[in-house]
Amino acid sequence: MNHTLRMNIHKVEGALIRLLGLIERRGFSVTSMNAHSDDARQEVEITVHLRSAGRSVETLARQIEKLYDVRSVACLTSGEQAIVMGESVAC
Amino acid sequence: MSMKGAELVVRALEQQGVEYIFGYPGGAIMPVYDALLNSPIKHILARHEQGASLAADAYARVTGRPAVCMATSGPGATNLVTGIANAFMDSVPMVVITGQVPTVVMGTDAFQEVDVFGITMPIVKHSFIIRRAEDIPKTIALAFQIAAEGRPGPVLVDLPKDISNAVPTAASIFEMRKSKRASPDPRQVQIARELIMNAERPVLYGGGGIPMAGAVDAFRAYARASGIPTVTTLKGIGSLPTRDETYLGMLGMHGNRAANRAIQESDLLICIGARFDDRATGRLDGFAPKAKVIHMDADPSEIGKLRHADAGLLGDLLESLAAMPTGLSIAPWQQWCAERKAEHAWRYDAPGEYIYVPDMLRRLTEAAPDVTIACDVGQHQMWVAQHCHFDRPEQHLTSAGLGTMGYGVPAGIGACLARPGARVVTVSGDGSIMMNIQELATIRRYGLDLKILLVDNSSLGMVRQWQQLFHGERYSEVDLSDNPDFVEVAKSFGIPGFRITRRDEVDGAIRRLLETEGPLLAHVCIDPKSNVWPLVPPGQSNDVMMEELSA
Repeated sequence: MNHTLRMNIHKVEGALIRLLGLIERRGFSVTSMNAHSDDARQEVEITVHLRSAGRSVETLARQIEKLYDVRSVACLTSGEQAIVMGESVAC
Repeated sequence: MSMKGAELVVRALEQQGVEYIFGYPGGAIMPVYDALLNSPIKHILARHEQGASLAADAYARVTGRPAVCMATSGPGATNLVTGIANAFMDSVPMVVITGQVPTVVMGTDAFQEVDVFGITMPIVKHSFIIRRAEDIPKTIALAFQIAAEGRPGPVLVDLPKDISNAVPTAASIFEMRKSKRASPDPRQVQIARELIMNAERPVLYGGGGIPMAGAVDAFRAYARASGIPTVTTLKGIGSLPTRDETYLGMLGMHGNRAANRAIQESDLLICIGARFDDRATGRLDGFAPKAKVIHMDADPSEIGKLRHADAGLLGDLLESLAAMPTGLSIAPWQQWCAERKAEHAWRYDAPGEYIYVPDMLRRLTEAAPDVTIACDVGQHQMWVAQHCHFDRPEQHLTSAGLGTMGYGVPAGIGACLARPGARVVTVSGDGSIMMNIQELATIRRYGLDLKILLVDNSSLGMVRQWQQLFHGERYSEVDLSDNPDFVEVAKSFGIPGFRITRRDEVDGAIRRLLETEGPLLAHVCIDPKSNVWPLVPPGQSNDVMMEELSA
């Protein structure tokens, strides 16, 4: 599934890497991205195109929203069915 | 008089009401250690930074307030990492302060420089590098606020040495935002109420979020008023006293059979501060297959993460619980659960001569209902969860999400300091205790009244059990028959100890542990082949519970 997220984050040390690290760690890959820094407002607007094999982008958006430096998250692609992981493959 | 950055750090910690810092000094953090000499804050010197971070973790769990640990840059910081991850996985509020090399040499591979801000990014709730001494008071205050609010977690503050030595030009003024305690959505509350009113076989599935939210009393009030059968996760144990009539036990991989059967039969799962962890659910698509789900949590990203929630109640647990209906007509279900509870009650009549650990642990908590148990990780940890009785969740300290061997001794230290005069017993294994054995020196140094019950099967028992069951008895690197003499080890740290090997010595050993003043280690030798039962094999649904293999 392909998704697009648009986010506004505080322009502070570590905010961008924290955001991108979370996206990859939660099972999404970035297919393209665009970042624009607004020095006057001390924020960065980031648009990220994502791909995942079956993870919920809505859950990802809520996880991103929890980051302290994130001001807003918008999911620009349409909603999805709630995804339930089929089986436990944990060790 | 203007203060140095390091003094601002200590002053900010004092303002937060910090009583103890768990830590270890070193080059980059030396200005803060210097400032500590003029502070009423007591510093607990661990003998390895991991011991400091794990002790802080337990201190926070018992007090419910953010704990502080501190170390220098480089190896000091990396040694904290396991403790930070432990706190992150179990949502424990902690403020971690690391020294850092001066800002002018950051990024040049300076001596003892490591990017701890980068290393810890996936295992902190948030982190800061302080770049200006003026920002110290605000950053420390924010760190405490972020660590404690909502779903708690560890917050790291990396403090370069030139910043802690700098004297800021202007006193910084800042205002903290009010932390918001959200109320659950009234529409979701209404849906949840209807689900409960219409349920025939509801189960309360309580997790560590209950004590974290300060909602233990509200949870037990609702469980008792509604009469809904209750199971808990490992971290939820004690949220309802384990002796309560409607308590069925822990669910999951090593859960009680009655608890797992009730979940599998239920038509409504009321998940309160839990997260559908794989150790609790087993194979996810076979977990509570007939049930609708109400999920109450402080963390919006947990609702619907692994299991669809028919009603999601975010925010204040006290409010959510108070809005749930009682007066339910579920007598046949209560009867069924009570019968399963009786049918699957633990048995303690194990054959053989060896000391039977489940029986020993049960006797320990029967003799001392007020005891706080700090667990290590492995078979003994599961036996504690299964067989000990607890009235409060703070009495059971366990590394649940991360499963950190080596947690037990530092956690016991943290618990002793959090509640002076409390009766604290670390239950450890011969594998686990060696991971933080150096902290025996900390017990001795501060004269802590920590008892250690060391269960020794001369092997890495849980791994051995899995190799026996799932790897065709091919035993690989699990033999610990060359362990040191643990009684002598304790003695060399100035801690008395004794050894038992027979069943008839158990009651005497428990009495000694409970009646002796000061630290004491009981070395309990058990059958090297003991296993934990029942067991849901990995990847299976909780219907599939293996029982003791006949010898």
